[in-house]
Amino acid sequence: MKSFKIFALLMIAVFLLGACGPAAPETIKIGINAPITGDIPKVGEGSKYAAEMWLADIEAAGGLEVGGKTYNVELVIEDNESKAESATKVNTKMITQDEVLVIVGPQSSKQAVPAGEVANNYSTPMVSPWSTNPNTTLDRPWVFRGCFLDPFQGPVVANFVSDEFGFTKAAVLYDVASDYPKGLAENFKAAWEELHGEGSVVAYESFTTKDTDFSAQLTSIANSGAEFFFAPQYYNEVALIVQQAHELGWDAPIVGSDSWGSAETVELCGEDCYGLFFSTHYAAAGATGATKEFIDRYEAEHGYVPDDVGALTWDTLHLVQQAIVDCGEITGDIAVDRQCVRDALASITDFNGITGDMTFTEEGDPIKCAVIVRISDAGEYEFYKSACP
Amino acid sequence: MAESTNNSSAGRKGLSVRLGKAWEPFTKVPLLGWLLGILVAVALEQLVGTPLAHLVGLSKIPVLFGFVIVLKQPVLLPGTLLYILLIYLLPVGLVARLGAALTNKLAARLLQSPLWVSAIVHVGLLYASLHMWADISDYRDLVLRLTLIAIILTLSLNIVNGYMGEFSCSHPGFMALGAYAASAFTVIFFVEDKVFGSPLLPPALGPFLFPLALIFGGVISALGALLVAIPSFRTRGDYLAIISLAFLFIVKSLIENLEILGGPRGFMSQPDWANLPTVFIWCMGSIWIINNFVSSTLGKSLNAVRDEETAANAMTVNTRRTKMVGFQFAAFWAGVAGGLFAHVMRYVNPGSFGIQKLAEMLAMVYFGGLNSVVGSIVGAVGFNLLSEALRPLELFKWIIIPLLLILVMLYRPTGLIAFREFDIANLLKPKRKSEEEVEHAIATD
Repeated sequence: MKSFKIFALLMIAVFLLGACGPAAPETIKIGINAPITGDIPKVGEGSKYAAEMWLADIEAAGGLEVGGKTYNVELVIEDNESKAESATKVNTKMITQDEVLVIVGPQSSKQAVPAGEVANNYSTPMVSPWSTNPNTTLDRPWVFRGCFLDPFQGPVVANFVSDEFGFTKAAVLYDVASDYPKGLAENFKAAWEELHGEGSVVAYESFTTKDTDFSAQLTSIANSGAEFFFAPQYYNEVALIVQQAHELGWDAPIVGSDSWGSAETVELCGEDCYGLFFSTHYAAAGATGATKEFIDRYEAEHGYVPDDVGALTWDTLHLVQQAIVDCGEITGDIAVDRQCVRDALASITDFNGITGDMTFTEEGDPIKCAVIVRISDAGEYEFYKSACP
Repeated sequence: MAESTNNSSAGRKGLSVRLGKAWEPFTKVPLLGWLLGILVAVALEQLVGTPLAHLVGLSKIPVLFGFVIVLKQPVLLPGTLLYILLIYLLPVGLVARLGAALTNKLAARLLQSPLWVSAIVHVGLLYASLHMWADISDYRDLVLRLTLIAIILTLSLNIVNGYMGEFSCSHPGFMALGAYAASAFTVIFFVEDKVFGSPLLPPALGPFLFPLALIFGGVISALGALLVAIPSFRTRGDYLAIISLAFLFIVKSLIENLEILGGPRGFMSQPDWANLPTVFIWCMGSIWIINNFVSSTLGKSLNAVRDEETAANAMTVNTRRTKMVGFQFAAFWAGVAGGLFAHVMRYVNPGSFGIQKLAEMLAMVYFGGLNSVVGSIVGAVGFNLLSEALRPLELFKWIIIPLLLILVMLYRPTGLIAFREFDIANLLKPKRKSEEEVEHAIATD
């Protein structure tokens, strides 16, 4: 019975002391929902590094000043294992447990779509830097993204090729089983046919994720009379596709999309990729101003040139920072503050980011320019021209 | 040298004896007592959890028994331990210990009525505790729902891989079929959707007809299971594993190319009907039905087919029928789990049902134990909680969990709790010193 008495005493003590909880801490919490393990760890690493660099800046400045008061900033970085269910768990945890003010991430659409639902249900602003699926922000006032959408990028590529080379016959090679390439291929096809009429996409060939032999598709593209082909694929497939095309004697241009933007593309592909073009968010080589500063700093700290995920995460965090500052006051009531940050995000205009200027629409999608990049003869990503909506 | 070894082993023995002595009173606590203890603990947490957490220096109630807090901020370890001790360990221990006499009497009284009455009382107590526990935070609620779904999945995979002894890799495929079929059912009938148009039935009916959607999902995946079951008549072992793997890829490719179901972009706008009570009822139902199935004649013939197919055939076991039923029954539950999963996530895409999911399911089955219902429950709950608790470790989590699996495989090659029958009557009965006392207690009551 002795233990019971001690227990009862403790309980009474708890009741008595219960009233005096700690005062609200003066910290702004920002959640990072990133795929640190799983299929695409490089993406998670890029997001984490960019976020840590941003935090270092804030800490160097002594905190974030909002409405004349300085707040500490805390990053809550959680791993979503590149799985949809983990991304929703992480979001739920960050919103209800850590009580973050705003969430940055998840990066890929397969996690951003369900995670966006969670954020929207809990009325917490969420900005996905990299997700291009329209469903991520569709009918969700609380969800934003930091990049342009596929329906914008498709026409950008189509217009660029028509203007630059004057081609009229296009071919497409894409992964039918993967969300992003498929969406982009469809958007490109629609844009190209609008420019050059029905049937101007002479070959529309597909394969399935993890295929490594594309000779059948490439042969039929070569025989179709296409003047170039568009391959909106990820870096590991790009290398295989380009090398196999050249082995089959293809010497016309191959055009890509922002998924080529990883540093790995050139590493894997080598000289085969030199001279090719792709559309993306920013160009690392020949960058100037803040973009160059970011790239140099990232390279110095982590030993490689950041790819677009890092740059977009960096921009997204600055967007979030601006929204918090614009908000003017942190009341400490998390629901009020979240509403305030959301409204501030939705009304950001002409934000000057390292991946271009951004203006948000009420739908949560930014209006921003795309960049056409040429892979130089030294294997660097050179700015070629920019395409604005 | 020899002496010192003796000494140390004696010391270890002494410790284990002492531990055993301290534990001894608890061996007389019936399940009912433990459940009551847990109920008191979670009720206590609801009442005084937040102030107590503040008192021991935590900003909030530790959400998953403090694992996440301790891994992120090791400084808070003493406070977290104190919290766990005060909220969980002490109340559960005290109530279980002090109430043992009463709960034993109660359990005996309950067993006088039919077994199902007692079972329902226990399950009701369990639900009440889980509900209160999950009430503290939505994160707990989500983790709990996904864990309950994992239990159904693990059980259903255990039917094929454990009881029937085939190595089947098609389970994520069954789950995908169920998830998409159930989603299509609810979206077509009850939700305004861009692809499928306006709902065919009034949405108010939806929650009541939701079980139909899940059963529909289960039936569709049971039909799909025919594709694996029929080849299994002639192939076994590695060959069947390859066929079932092929089935998984067929399902995935099929969905990826079905534009009407969203293709690789995924399928969304499922209604939010898979709440905690729904998932809990389905999970308990699956445990009950699957347990009855595997202890029935048909279930035993699964074991006969596993141990020696030719002999089983000679002993009048219809092996073909057994395999068909085994596969389809397992696929049905995988489909139901898929349907629940789709409605918890409210978004499905074919990428979720790939090799990664398969590896996870197999890990849960082999971790928990083959040929055992309790093992499956332990495997699913253990794996899910572990994977959630170790999340802050990021990459190291994927070193620790596989290492644990390797250790389990080395020391218990068939899993933690393998080849054990799940005897509900034994589980629910009062735990007295001897049977006579129980009889006596019942007689004097």
